Amino acid sequence: MVETTTETTEAETPGQLASAASSDVIILLNHVNKWFGEFHVLRDINLSITRGERIVVCGPSGSGKSTLIRCINRLEEHQEGDIIVDGMELGSDLKNLDQIRSEVGMVFQSFNLFPHLTVLENLTLAPIWVRKVPKIEANEAAMAYLERVKIPEQADKYPGQLSGGQQQRVAIARSLCMNPKIMLFDEPTSALDPEMIKEVLEVMVELAATGMTMIVVTHEMGFAKTVADRVIFMDFGEIIEVNEPHQFFNNPQSDRTKLFLSQILHN
Amino acid sequence: MAEAIHTGEIRPPPTVQGTWFAWLRDNLFSSWVNTLLTFGALYIIYFAVSGVWAWGITNAVWEAENRRVCFDINPDGACWAGVLAWFDNFIWGRYPRGEMWRINLGALLIVVWMVPIWLPGVKDKIYVGFSTVFLYPFLGFFLFAGGEKGLFLQVMLSLAIVVLIGNTLNGYHGVRSGRSLPEVVIAGLGMKASSDKVQRKTLLAIFAAAFALVFWAQMGWVLVSVEWNLWGGLFLTLVISGIGIAFALPGGIVLAMGRRSQLPVIRILCTGFIEVFRSVPLITILFMATTMFPLFLPEGFTLNKLVQVIVAVCLFNACYMAEVVRAGLQAIPRGQYEAAMAMGLGYWKMMGLIIMPQALKFMIPNIVGNFIGLLKDTTLVSIIGLFDVLNMLKAVSQDVPWRGLHKEPLVVGAALFFVICFAMSKYSRHLEETLGGGTQR
Repeated sequence: MVETTTETTEAETPGQLASAASSDVIILLNHVNKWFGEFHVLRDINLSITRGERIVVCGPSGSGKSTLIRCINRLEEHQEGDIIVDGMELGSDLKNLDQIRSEVGMVFQSFNLFPHLTVLENLTLAPIWVRKVPKIEANEAAMAYLERVKIPEQADKYPGQLSGGQQQRVAIARSLCMNPKIMLFDEPTSALDPEMIKEVLEVMVELAATGMTMIVVTHEMGFAKTVADRVIFMDFGEIIEVNEPHQFFNNPQSDRTKLFLSQILHN
Repeated sequence: MAEAIHTGEIRPPPTVQGTWFAWLRDNLFSSWVNTLLTFGALYIIYFAVSGVWAWGITNAVWEAENRRVCFDINPDGACWAGVLAWFDNFIWGRYPRGEMWRINLGALLIVVWMVPIWLPGVKDKIYVGFSTVFLYPFLGFFLFAGGEKGLFLQVMLSLAIVVLIGNTLNGYHGVRSGRSLPEVVIAGLGMKASSDKVQRKTLLAIFAAAFALVFWAQMGWVLVSVEWNLWGGLFLTLVISGIGIAFALPGGIVLAMGRRSQLPVIRILCTGFIEVFRSVPLITILFMATTMFPLFLPEGFTLNKLVQVIVAVCLFNACYMAEVVRAGLQAIPRGQYEAAMAMGLGYWKMMGLIIMPQALKFMIPNIVGNFIGLLKDTTLVSIIGLFDVLNMLKAVSQDVPWRGLHKEPLVVGAALFFVICFAMSKYSRHLEETLGGGTQR
């Protein structure tokens, strides 16, 4: 299905919202606007993401792509519009918020591992303290995830002793330990050396193959071509173009998209 | 033609050459100017040390009945006899001599209680710290003050004793076999295979039995009541600063978190509290505490001066500690807060598991510096009439046989404070190295 303009074809009335929820839409953004002080950083965002979909968000810096995904787990608060995650509306209700956040995993550009805990403790912290999983079970699950990201031997080391690529893989494993329904990636490879980007992307490709709902903000267009179901281009806080990868890269509709692609694909 | 790539062999670094003679030559005598300076400094050192040595050691009088006798034996030397005669007062104040064993026992018990923190292999060290802060005061109060025991005190006293015994056994087993006390007890009863619930109930039952036993035993313990105005010397200084230190850090953490709170009333109250106490000298607060506290209390409810002073010292130091904690919290990168929030940890778990452990490590130099300051600041209580160690040291010169003895007690006081503060400072460096983990710079 091809969507090429910013005009919304998403649900707008409450009745349509309800039916959207039942048709396996897991994230719904409806006329979302956000300001940082006077600066209008997100402008009338309308987006609906279904379960198991892989979305890549790209665009020039300052376009609001990081802000967009940070609004989804309420690390940033939106001022207007609705954001509905897994049937729960994001508002100022705090109890709801922790529950939503435990279903949404996030991987950061600067890894944000906890330096005072070992790798294994980093992974088991949330399951033990949020989901009340007994320690032995949590350790076993954590070791399984460490094997999945191919670094089980690092379990007892501290994050400071690992390379950047290893730290990011630990961060991915840490998010996966909570068995989230959605994984958000905020420029996961932007802080890595070129040799390490590949090992992290491999993990993300493998994760995509398991049917995880993923929203990835990245400049890695190769990843977008291989894995994405839809590619979203944002500029100046608006969604300019949304399309499936083949159409997006070979047949961009908007001029701004064409300009961006020419800049980014030149290298 | 491409050059062959040369791979040098991997070698260890060259060893540092030189004897101490070479070091002396390079550092002290490397040029004429340096040589002159070295000799100049050596002369000054000799001059100062020989004067002090002559006064303090060579010409000093160690045994005399009074100062006049000291003077007759050797007018150029220190009269340590006076200090030795008053030594008991310096350390234990005017505590009845026959009851001094209670203070010594109290000191021994707190050392025994806290020692497991430094022993390898002991599990759950944080409970040792908590139990010391919350339960030892009851044990200490009973030992030092004595007298009538209300029911509350009896209960807490029994609890403290049971926890102390449990803690010591835990430490013993930790060192010996790396297991905690509950583990040893469960294994000893052959109940390893039982469910968690049954194990927990058994341990609770044993605890309750021990508590009942101790409670029954302590009912017969009677200690003579010692009025607080007889407490003095180093004992009093350590009581005031010990309570101040124990309260300052948790109090400071509460105030710092309150200052950063999103709720406006809490934030304004905490900020106001901190700013008021930091804008006023401690001596003013002590005066205000002793004169104004009675106005705030309901009719007939009086606090003795010592309690007023302790409350004032605790609040004062909590406010300074709050600022130290706030600085530490601000030093934690925003990403740590975000990662914790993104996992759904919630505010209290985020602070307790992620933020505070990291922030406290950064705050160690400031915290221990504050504690050292607190210890020295307690000497101010001498101005409102409490006989802490400084007041005792000054009181020697008013005692009839030792009238005019000023220098010697103050030298002893200086040495005493130096030893304690230097030890704390050294320990702070040790803490930074062990707790710093990978963050040493």
